[in-house]
Amino acid sequence: MATRMDQQRATAERDWRVGLSDDQLRHVLYLLKLCRYFDERMEALYRQGRLPGAIYSGRGQEGTHVGVAYALRPEDSLFPTHRDLSAQLTKGLDLKRVMAQFWGRIDGYTRGRDGNSHIGDWYGARTWTVMSHLPIAYPVACGAALAYQRRGEPRVAMAICGDGATSNGRWHEALNVSAIHRLPVVWVVNNNQYAYSTPNRLEIPTPTIAERAAAYGMPGVRVDAQDVLEVYRVAHEAVERARSGGGPTLIESVSLRWRGHAGHDPAKYVPRALLEEYMENKDPVRRFQDLLLAHEVVDEAAVKAIEERVEREFQEGYEFALASPFPVGEEVTMGLWVEDGYWQREPSREGGTEAP
Amino acid sequence: MSATKIEAGAAGHGAEPRGKRTEAGEATYLIAIAEALWEEMERDERVFLLGEDIGVYGGAFKVTEGFIERFGPERVMDTPIAEETITGIAIGAAMEGFRPVAEFQYADFMSSGFDMITTALGRYHYRSGVPLPVVLRGPSGGGVRASSFHSFNPEPWFAHSPGLKVICPAFPTDAKGLLKAAIRDDNPVIFLEHKWIYRRIKEVVPTDPDFLVPIGKARVVREGTDLSIVTYGTLVHWALEAAEQLEAGGISTEIVDLRTIQPLDTETVLRSVEKTSRVLVLYESHRFLGVGAEVAAQIAEEAFEHLDAPVMRLAPPNVPIPFSPTLEDAYLPQVPDIVEAAQRLAAW
Repeated sequence: MATRMDQQRATAERDWRVGLSDDQLRHVLYLLKLCRYFDERMEALYRQGRLPGAIYSGRGQEGTHVGVAYALRPEDSLFPTHRDLSAQLTKGLDLKRVMAQFWGRIDGYTRGRDGNSHIGDWYGARTWTVMSHLPIAYPVACGAALAYQRRGEPRVAMAICGDGATSNGRWHEALNVSAIHRLPVVWVVNNNQYAYSTPNRLEIPTPTIAERAAAYGMPGVRVDAQDVLEVYRVAHEAVERARSGGGPTLIESVSLRWRGHAGHDPAKYVPRALLEEYMENKDPVRRFQDLLLAHEVVDEAAVKAIEERVEREFQEGYEFALASPFPVGEEVTMGLWVEDGYWQREPSREGGTEAP
Repeated sequence: MSATKIEAGAAGHGAEPRGKRTEAGEATYLIAIAEALWEEMERDERVFLLGEDIGVYGGAFKVTEGFIERFGPERVMDTPIAEETITGIAIGAAMEGFRPVAEFQYADFMSSGFDMITTALGRYHYRSGVPLPVVLRGPSGGGVRASSFHSFNPEPWFAHSPGLKVICPAFPTDAKGLLKAAIRDDNPVIFLEHKWIYRRIKEVVPTDPDFLVPIGKARVVREGTDLSIVTYGTLVHWALEAAEQLEAGGISTEIVDLRTIQPLDTETVLRSVEKTSRVLVLYESHRFLGVGAEVAAQIAEEAFEHLDAPVMRLAPPNVPIPFSPTLEDAYLPQVPDIVEAAQRLAAW
């Protein structure tokens, strides 16, 4: 029989772990470390000239990405940006196919028709194939949410964009419409403090982005993204409110973009002291790992096992990508129209693995 | 949700657009379009309408008058003035299994949703394999003294943007059959209704709820032997008038109505050119890089040996559409301009 003290301890336990089981907490740690490792290794390969195209690092923002996407169910949909690959991995993208996409191979989610994190998996992980014109997916999320509402399905659409995209008219259009119809949608703003090189103070006249929610009559929450569990808690609450007919929520999740806008950008416009403050003291991955160690959800051996798993999966993904053939040039016009059947059949695998 | 087949006019509703035909059973182009929407909404509950003022008001041109009474506000959804988001809602709903038809109050305002149309709607399937069965429809074109922002022909923009089918019907029957085909098509379709035709042209239109006109097929609307006029939209009607005058002067004119701009039916165009050896490409979008520029180029490439004269183009200059009657008439090719151009071509 549980004593009063035991009950209190159990309540405290629930508070810090925001309802997640040990297995779930360990999974969140795995996701955080996977996303961090992937981001670091891909940048290294890019700098060595071994990765074609572009990279858009989400490093330092994993607390946002993993926290919000972990609050979704498989049947919920996610409409992210190129910065949010970590959210897509959390939602369930296959690392092998992600890496095949980066190398322009036929096994990538877009069959080589797009590259890098301009990726999505609608029929699997239920994610939007990312476009650059931000926040282009915000209005689309309204449409998916409208479909759930019309059919009475307990499903939710979540869209992510950066602080920069909140200056765009579509951002306001989408929030407005979602509030008018109380659509089951969660609006996430990954405020990493810079829109490419432009700081918040030149983008946003209000002290926070979250307070703009009041203008649309919806709840607005600002959360510190160094704490992935707090992000998850806030997102989970918003997702379940949307699911139960309570309408949309705006979440502003604040972090710092540790790297440049893209691989070519050294981001010298970010003050050194600010960057060091975040990297030293506000690292969402290390912070969460320390938390789990302190609560003995993991020990050093378990952490090491996660790291080995992440490294192994990356290596497997890399080998899979390089062994996957390129799409054949003759199929360049295929897949534009539904009736050509390209997306309903297996594509040619005769493209070879040598880059032209 | 599945498509259900219904009897023609089974709705039995007083506001049903078919009730607005003439006693002889003729429907205007506008009524034919309303019938197409109505029948497809009866047939398939995945079809819904959204747009500005389409509900109680029935739309700026009254195409959807009576629809909200029959189908309710969820399937006849009034939206804020937010063309990007109207298009975005259509995309998202289509991804989740609906078949949205969005009305743009004027086709001019498609430019307010341009990014969502050309970047998102057009390019999504090629990159993802996810079909987007979306129809965007709206009144296009000039000749009604509506000036620069209510007369535009956006068809070259969208025909140039990969992944969008573009339809510009000239007759009520084609408008009905093509719109029904567009709603049943799994690709995005831009359906441009010419407002000059809306209430001016009527004919007996099929009542079979499964009557469709195939997308991507041109039609020879008048047979002739001396020269071909390749055109679409309102200018089909003006070309028909010109052809009567030319006939009186001994020139036999064949007229090809493109009907669909994308995909373009080059085959029907070339067959006509092979027959007449002279071709006037007549179009309402700007002459420079307009629809006819592509048609002319394809003829020059594919039918050079059949031509007895250079391909001739007649189209508006590259200026905004002006208001004053003298200016608008100078801008749009008029019937006498068509006659004069055809005579020059025949005399080459």
